[in-house]
Parts: sequence; structure tokens; C-alpha cells
Amino acid sequence: MNAEPAAPRPASARAREFRRIVTEMLKIDRVRGGLVVAADGLVITSSLPRSIAVEPLAALTATLGRELEVGADRLKRTPFHTALFSADDGTVFLGSSPVGFVVVLGDREVNVGLVQWALRKALATLEGAWGSQSQIPATPEDI
Amino acid sequence: MLAVKLRGGRPRPLDGGFTSERESNHVGLLRLLSRIWDTITSFTRPPNAATLFRRADLFRQEGRFEEAAELVAQGLRVAPNNGVGHLLSAYLHLAFRQIGPAKSEFEAVLALDPYHPRALLGLAKIALEERDLAACRPFLDKALQYYPDFPEARALQDMVSSWTTAPAAPGQHPVYAGPPIQVEKLKPPAGGREFVLTQADGTLVFSQQGDKDAEDLAAHVTQVYRIASATLQRAGLGALRRGIIQAATETTFFRSNDRLILALSFPQDVKVGFGLLETDKLWTNSLRELGVRA
Repeated sequence: MNAEPAAPRPASARAREFRRIVTEMLKIDRVRGGLVVAADGLVITSSLPRSIAVEPLAALTATLGRELEVGADRLKRTPFHTALFSADDGTVFLGSSPVGFVVVLGDREVNVGLVQWALRKALATLEGAWGSQSQIPATPEDI
Repeated sequence: MLAVKLRGGRPRPLDGGFTSERESNHVGLLRLLSRIWDTITSFTRPPNAATLFRRADLFRQEGRFEEAAELVAQGLRVAPNNGVGHLLSAYLHLAFRQIGPAKSEFEAVLALDPYHPRALLGLAKIALEERDLAACRPFLDKALQYYPDFPEARALQDMVSSWTTAPAAPGQHPVYAGPPIQVEKLKPPAGGREFVLTQADGTLVFSQQGDKDAEDLAAHVTQVYRIASATLQRAGLGALRRGIIQAATETTFFRSNDRLILALSFPQDVKVGFGLLETDKLWTNSLRELGVRA
């Protein structure tokens, strides 16, 4: 019997799924970038404009995600699923999953409802890969 | 192979020291057999700690945390004082949201290497989660003292250095000193709850709730505002204006300018359009009441 644990394949199903999620997000009009970041700030996959450095953004989004989780826990609220924060020039979307946080950047014209819906779908896929699957509205308009 | 002639005989290899061709062939055969044996036994021999940690890190980078954790635990049994192993263990505890064990593991790394930048960053992040800014700053300073080009630590340091006041610690809340507020004019809409208005420095201006809960809520709202603002600015998108946080039982709406933050929650099934509209109304009323221009 082989005593050594199997070495990870270069493109495991999970790794492919993360990349697919980011790729799908990037297909949405006015989405500028996306990343999947673990709760410790590790970048699992990313696609960002060249002008944005990935590590600092990952560190901040992981910190933001953790504050949303920890804050909800402190206030005895239920854990957050998705969040969005808008500024004059665009929006940061954040989704919570067992692996960490899915982050999407949209410019000021981005269709917020469409991204939220796509993000929920992506999170449900991730949750499915890790455990239970959550309910997704049938269309963005149902959010 | 380098060789020299000895006493007119056949060349003798400098690094081998064999006295005859037969002896040389014999040793070569032994080496070959040894390599074959090593290859065969590598399938059954337990891997060393370095191999386990390397594989664990590959699993971790793919989000396969459970498998990574198993390998790290296995590696640390083989090499209990391995800094890489403790660092990976800390990361994995964080990934599983196990903060206490993560902290212990980062501390174990620092016990082996007091200036390990990633362990310092890890502890800084945990201190930030615990809203202990006084503990967070020295970790970041120390990490950047020896590794000034550490982008993650730099991003967090830039963020916390812009915070003029630390997030409110228990029992030490800044007091609002602005114009008096007429509570009846800041009535949240039907279904609205946990309405809170704070200044950007964490000072609670107004709350629908009792004092203790209001202070906790204000501290959270302020912290979310600060981190979200830093994130938006890092992404080149500008200053935070609106936010929506959706959880299983409620949806919270944020509205802010550079000085004030408003947060208002609704039951989870609220329509986003309705929530935005009602939050805007309350925001306008709040600014009017405080004598602030929108």
C-alpha cells in the first residue's frame, strides 16, 4: 500500500470551480475583476485589472469579510451571505463561503442585481461542493 | 570526470579512489541498485516533514483545507518545531475560523523566529478582528521594519494609520457632542430595526436600541465602514457611499459620507429597492436634523 498521501493534482475539481466562478463573473457587463480569497488572506484565484495589486486587495477584503462574520457573531446575528459596498466609481461585492470570500469588482454602471444574483449562484455552487446548498432566487429581479 | 596519471598506470579518478575497473563497476552497480531500492521504498516509506508541508501548501492553495490540515498535523508529529508547519497550521485554523488555535500557532512561529513577517501579519489581523488596535499596530510595524516591501502588511498599516481614533473598546466609548437630536424625527420605517447613526470615528450619535447593544452595533458599523472604505479606495473606486449586507435573517443597509454612517436593518425578505428608499429617507432626515448638508 502507498503510505504517502496522494499529491494534489495541478487542477483539482475545486481549483477549477474557483477559476470558473471568477471567469463567469467577468462575463457580466461592467465587472472589472474578481478573486477568491481565503479567510487568512490567501489568494486562491484572481483576475484583476493591472492597476490593482492583488495581495493588498486580498488582505483588505479578507479583513472586511472577517469583520462581517465576527461582528454578526458578536451581535448575535446570523452570518452574512453577501454584501456590497458602493462608491462613486464602482462597487465591491463580497460573498461568504466555507472556503473564504468571493470578491467581485464592478464599475459605476454595473448591474448590481445581476452581480448579486450571479454571486449567490456561485456561492451555492461552492457550498454544494463543501456541504449544504442554499436557496437561490430564480432571477435577479427576485432578490 | 577529472583524472590524473599515477606512476604511468591507468588514469585514477580524483573523486572515486577505485583501484581497479572491476571495483569501479562493482560500486557503480551497488549505487544503481541503491537508487532502485530507494525508488521502490519511496512508495512505502513515510514522507518527511518538508514533503508533507509542501503538499499541504499545495492543497491549501486549492482550497482543500481538510486534506491540508491532515498533512500538516502529520508533519508536525514528525517535526514538532518546524516553523513552516506551525505557520501552515495557523493559516488553516484561520481558514476554519478557529481564532484561538491560529493565534497559538502564529505565536509558536514567532518563538522560533521573532521577526517572521507572515506570523506577525497573522497576529496583526487577529488583533484587528478583536478590535485591539493597540496590539495590531506593533505587529504591523515590526513586520514592515524588516520587510518594508510586504504588500499585505503595508495595506493594513495604511488602513489603520488613517484611523484617528481606535474602534471603541468596552467601557470607553466616545460621547457625541453635536447638536441635540429630536428622536421623533428619526423614526425608522415599518419593519426597520437596529437603526444606528455614528460618526466616522466611532462616536455613537443616535440609536434605536438600548445603550449596550447600541455601542456594540456602533462599533461594528464603524469598523465595517472603515475597512470597506479602505477596500474601495484600494480598488480605485472612491469613498464608501452605500452598503447592503444580506444575512439569513436580516438585510442591513448602510449610507455614509466622510463623517457620518447610518445603518438600518430589515427582515431578510425585504425588497432591496424598498430598503434603499427607506434608508435614503432616514439619511436625509438625519442630515437635516444634524444640520449637515448632503
